[in-house]
Amino acid sequence: MNILKQELRMGRKTLIVWCLSLIGILSLFMLLYPSIASQLEDFQKVFESFPIEFQQALGVSDLELSSILSFYQFSLMYVLLAGAIQAMNMGVSVISAEVREKTGDFLFVKPVSRNRVVSMKILAVLIQILITNAVVFTASLIIVTLLSTDSYNVELFALFTLSLLFIQIFFASLGLFVSVFLRRIRTVLPISMGVVFIFYIIHLLNETLKDEKLGLISPFDYFNLSEISKNMNYDSLNLLLWFVLVGVFIFLTFKLFARKDLPSI
Amino acid sequence: MNVIEINQLTKYYGKQRGIENVSFSVEEGEIFGFIGPNGAGKSTTIRALLSLIHPTSGSATIFGKDCIKYGNEIRRDIGYLPSEVFYYEHMKVREVLNYSASFYDNVDTSRIQSLAEVMDLDLNKRIDDLSYGNKKKVGIIQGLLHEPRLIILDEPTGGLDPLMQQKFFELIRMENQKGATVLFSSHILSEVQKLCARVAIIKDGSIVRVENIRDMQKHNYKKFTLDYRGVIDVHHFNLEGITNLTVDENTLHFLFKGDINRMVERLQGQNLMNLLVEEPSLEEIFMHYYQKEEQP
Repeated sequence: MNILKQELRMGRKTLIVWCLSLIGILSLFMLLYPSIASQLEDFQKVFESFPIEFQQALGVSDLELSSILSFYQFSLMYVLLAGAIQAMNMGVSVISAEVREKTGDFLFVKPVSRNRVVSMKILAVLIQILITNAVVFTASLIIVTLLSTDSYNVELFALFTLSLLFIQIFFASLGLFVSVFLRRIRTVLPISMGVVFIFYIIHLLNETLKDEKLGLISPFDYFNLSEISKNMNYDSLNLLLWFVLVGVFIFLTFKLFARKDLPSI
Repeated sequence: MNVIEINQLTKYYGKQRGIENVSFSVEEGEIFGFIGPNGAGKSTTIRALLSLIHPTSGSATIFGKDCIKYGNEIRRDIGYLPSEVFYYEHMKVREVLNYSASFYDNVDTSRIQSLAEVMDLDLNKRIDDLSYGNKKKVGIIQGLLHEPRLIILDEPTGGLDPLMQQKFFELIRMENQKGATVLFSSHILSEVQKLCARVAIIKDGSIVRVENIRDMQKHNYKKFTLDYRGVIDVHHFNLEGITNLTVDENTLHFLFKGDINRMVERLQGQNLMNLLVEEPSLEEIFMHYYQKEEQP
C-alpha cells in the first residue's frame, strides 16, 4: 500500500492539471454552443457543401449539429485525444520514472518483488484514470445539462463519455508495455504524443476509407462516436479486441519487467 | 556461516563483459573489503547480489538463499548504500526516510532522529535542496535504518568530508559490533584498510585474489624509509625480499618481506640521518594488481 500511496502523492499535481485541462478543452468547445446554436443549421449546410471525403476527414460527415449531443460528440473527440495522451504519459512514465529519476536503486532493493511494485503502480494509474473520468463525467454532465434547452438522451451521453475510460485504459496499458519494452526512456511526452497521434491519424484516415480491417488498428475506432450514436451501444467485437489487447499489454509488462536489468547510474 | 556466497558469477551486457566467474564468500560478522579500479566489476557484482540485474551464469546466495529467486525475502535484511544516491526530489528528507521505513516490519522510527543527529542532517529539507554530501547522508540513514544483518556499501564515502567519513566509519563499526556483516566496495584502499579484515581484489571482471589483509600487513611487509648522510649504496640492499626500491636524492624507500633480523644486520654501519619503519599501505602492496600487465 505504501507504494500506491507514494505514486498517488507524486502524481497528484499532474492529475489536477490534466483534469482541469480536459474540462477546459470541453468547455471551450461547448461554450460555443449557445452563441451558435441558432446558426447551427447554417453551419450544417456549410459542412454539407464540402466534398464528402473532406467531411469525413473532419469527422463531420454524420454530424447532426442541431442537437446538443451531436455538438458534444464533436467536442468530446478532442477530450478523448488529450485524455489518451494523459493516460499514455502515465503508463510510460510510471515505471520508467524510477530509472529516469535514478530512484530505482532505492525502490528495487526494498523487500518487495518487482511484480508487486508493478501491480501497485498499475493500480495507481488505474485510480488516477478513474478519478479523471469521474471528474470529466461530472463536469460534462453539468455543462451539457446547463446548455441544453430540451431534454437529451442521457444513455447516449453516458456511452459517449465512458469511451474516455476505455480509451485511457488502452493507452495506459500500451504505455506500460512500451516503457518496459524500450531499454531506456529519456523523455516521455514525445513518445506518448507520437503514438497517440499516429493512432488518431489512422482513425481519421479510416473515417474516409471506412476499411473494416483498418478499423481494428486504432482504439479511437473501437469507440467510434458516430457508430455509438447510431447503434446506441459499443461494438462487441471491438470491445473484445480492446479487452484482449489490454490484457496482453499488462501481461507483457509484468513478464518483461521481471527479467529486466536495471541500468546502473 | 557464510552470509554471502558467490559461485562462478558471470554477467555479460550483450557482448560486453561485466564480470567473469567471480567467486568469493563473506563470513557472518566480518567486514569484507571489495576493491578494484573503476570498471573492474564491483558494482556489477553488487547489483547482481541485490537482483537489480540478472546474472548470465553462475549463482549467488545470501543467508543461504538464492539471491534472485528469494530476492525480496533476502532484501529484508540488507541495507544498501549506492555510490550515487538519488531520491524523489520533491519529498522532504523525513518523508523519504519514512517511506523507506514503511517497507520493513518493526522499524524503530526513532532511529531516524538519532541517526540524523549523528550525521548532522536536517530532516525538514527537501531532497532537491540538499548538497551531494547531504544526500549521501540520507542514503546512509536509509541504509542503516532497519538494522540490517547485511550492509552492502558501494563506494560509500564519495562526497563526505573527512569528519563525516570518520563518523560514517564509526557507525559501520558499531553496526558490525552489533552483529551486522558488511560488504564494503571501494577503489580507495586506505579506507578499506581502516575497516576490513579480509578483502577480495577484482580486476578486469575477475577476482585476482582474496587476502587476509591484517595478516599480510603484519607478517609480511614493512615499509622502510632511510635518510642518508652521504651517498646511497643501492647495491648494499640487493637482498631477497626487497621490492619497490626507489631512490629519491638522499632518501631510500623500499618494502621488505622476510626475516626482520636479516634487515637489521644489513642496516649495521650505514651512515643514516633518519630511519622510518612503517606498515605499508594497501596501495603500496596492491599496486601491482592495479597496473595492467605490461608484458604478456
